Amino acid sequence: MIPPDGRSAERRGELKRPGSSTPAIEIRGLQKHFRVKQGLFGTAKQVRAVDGVTLSIPAGATLGIVGESGCGKSTLARLILGLLPPSAGEVLVEGQNLLRLDRRARARLIQPVFQDPFSSLNPRRRIGDIVAMPLVAQGTAGAKTRARVAEMLEQVGISPDMAGRTPAQLSGGQRQRVAIARALVLGPRILLCDEPTSALDVSVQSQILNLLGDLRRGLNLTTLFISHNLAVVEHIADTVAVMYLGRIVEEAPARALFANPRHPYTRALLASVLTPEPGLGVPDVGLGDVLPDPANIPPGCRFHPRCPVAIARCSVETPPLVDGAECHLLA
Amino acid sequence: MRRAGIWLGGGLLLLVTLAAILAPWIAPHDPYAQDLTRRLAVPFWMEGSRPEHLLGTDQLGRDYLSRLIYGARVSLIIGAMVVVVSGAIGITLGVLGGFFGGRVDDVVLFLITCRLSIPVVLVALAVVGLLGSSTTLVVTVLGLLLWDRFAVVARATTMQVRNLDYVAAAWAAGSSTPRILVSEVLPNIMTHLAVVGTLEMALAILLEAALSFLGLGVPPPLPSWGLMIAEGRDFMFFSAWVIWIPGVALFTLVLAINLLGDGLRDLFGAAPS
Repeated sequence: MIPPDGRSAERRGELKRPGSSTPAIEIRGLQKHFRVKQGLFGTAKQVRAVDGVTLSIPAGATLGIVGESGCGKSTLARLILGLLPPSAGEVLVEGQNLLRLDRRARARLIQPVFQDPFSSLNPRRRIGDIVAMPLVAQGTAGAKTRARVAEMLEQVGISPDMAGRTPAQLSGGQRQRVAIARALVLGPRILLCDEPTSALDVSVQSQILNLLGDLRRGLNLTTLFISHNLAVVEHIADTVAVMYLGRIVEEAPARALFANPRHPYTRALLASVLTPEPGLGVPDVGLGDVLPDPANIPPGCRFHPRCPVAIARCSVETPPLVDGAECHLLA
Repeated sequence: MRRAGIWLGGGLLLLVTLAAILAPWIAPHDPYAQDLTRRLAVPFWMEGSRPEHLLGTDQLGRDYLSRLIYGARVSLIIGAMVVVVSGAIGITLGVLGGFFGGRVDDVVLFLITCRLSIPVVLVALAVVGLLGSSTTLVVTVLGLLLWDRFAVVARATTMQVRNLDYVAAAWAAGSSTPRILVSEVLPNIMTHLAVVGTLEMALAILLEAALSFLGLGVPPPLPSWGLMIAEGRDFMFFSAWVIWIPGVALFTLVLAINLLGDGLRDLFGAAPS
C-alpha cells in the first residue's frame, strides 16, 4: 500500500523551498450553517456542518484532512470550491479572496478531483471532450486544444488514442485518471482531492496515489487531500488536520501526528484502523455509540460526550488551542 | 419481450413514416380527385371490388387508399409538431425548475399545477371552435396544452443529474450556466424525454383525430384520419369499411408509437410518470 519512494521531498526534509513560508492557500474562519426544517410545522434547526475552520497550506505541500463520515469534510471541500456559499470566513489564494473571484478566474487557481469517477464524468461525452471541457468553459479552446488534451491524457497515463471513447468503456482507475487530467488541464495551483481513491479497488488506489504524488511534484501543485482512510493520508500528506463535527481538532505534521497523536479523538481514529490479524474484528476504541450530530453540537468541547478521558471542565468550557490541538488535557 | 415491442412498434412507425414521405409516389390516385360515378366502391376483399381501388372509394368517389396514405402525413406532422412545441415549453420549464430549485422551482410547479387544472379537450374544442380550424391552430393549441408531462419528467430527472459530480466539475471549471444545462444536463435526461415524446405524440395524434372528427381539427378536404371517420359516419351502416379502415390505421399508428415508447422506457431502465 505504501511504497517507500512514495514519500514526498518535503517530508524527507530534503527540500525546503524559500517560498514555502508564504501559504499557497489560506482558509480563515470558514463556516457553513444550514437551516433545516423538521416536518411541516417543525421549528427550523441550525446544522453547523463547518464551524470555524482555519487552515493554511504552504506552496507545494499536501494537507490531508481526515475525519469520520458527517464531520463536514465534503462540505468544507464544496465551500473551498465555491460550490456552496459560506456563512462566514474566507479562502485566500495568493492573497486573493477565492470566494469573491469570478468563477472562471477561480477555476484557473483551484480544481477538484471527486470521489466517484462513475459520477464525476459525463457519461454522454467522449473522454477527449471531458478533458477539453475546462478549456471550452474558459473560452480558450482553439486549434491547440486537441494537442493539449492529448498531452494531458499522456501525463496521467492514458493513451491519447482513447480520447474517442466514452467513460463507460473505461475502468474505474482509468476514469479517475481522466478526472485528474480534466482537473489539471487549466494548470491550476491547487488541487482539491475529495476522497479520490475511496471508490477504487485497492490495487488501483496506490496507482492513483502515486500518480497524484508524481504530478504534484512535477507541477509543484499544492494539494488538499480529504479522506477517511488514514493509511492513504499518511502516505500522501505532509500535514494532517483531523476534523470533528465541523472543526479541526488537531493539526500536525504527518509523521508527528501518526507517531504521537495528542487529541483523544485522533488517538481513537488511529486505534480504529483495522489490523490484518484475523479474529480481532472491529477494534473497540471506547467512543461509545453516540453518533455526532451537527444539528445538536454539545456545549464546551464538542467531543466530550464520546471522549474516554473527559473531565468536568470539558462539558462547560471551549477547549484552548495548544500546539495545533484543541483539548483541555493539553493545556 | 421489451425488444419485441421496440422492433414491432418502431417497424410499424417506420412503415407509416415512409408511406407518408413517399405519398406522392406510392399513392395510386390523387387523394382529392372526385368521381361520383364510382362512389363508395368496396375494398378488395369484398365482392364487386375494383382492382384500381384496393381499399375502395369514399362517398365522393375519392380513392380510399390514397387518402389513407396522405392522411398519415397529417397525423405524423401534427403529432411531431405538437411534440416540438410542447417539448420546447415543458423541457425549458422543467430543466430550469429542477436545476435552480427554490423560487424558480416554485413558479414552475405552480405553472404545472395550473396547466393540470385545465381540461385539455374542452379548451381545445373551445379555442378551435372560436378561431376556426386550421392545422397551425391545432398544433398551437395542443402544443400549449400538452407540455405538463415533459415539464414533470424534465424537472425530476434534472434534479437527479444536478447533484452529480460531473455537473460540479463543470461548475468548478467555470462553465456558464447555459453551457452546463445544454452540455451536461440535457444530454443525460434526453432518453427520459424521448420516452415522454413518443407518448405525447401518440396522445396528440389521437386528439387531432378527435378534433377532426368533430369538425374542429384540420379543415376538409385535407385527408385526416379523424376527418375520414367523421365523413364516413353517415354511411357506416351499409359501408362499414369507410369508418373502420381509417379507424384501424389510427389504432395501429398509436399502438406502434406507444409500443415504441414503452419499450424505450424499459430499455432505459426508468419509469417516468
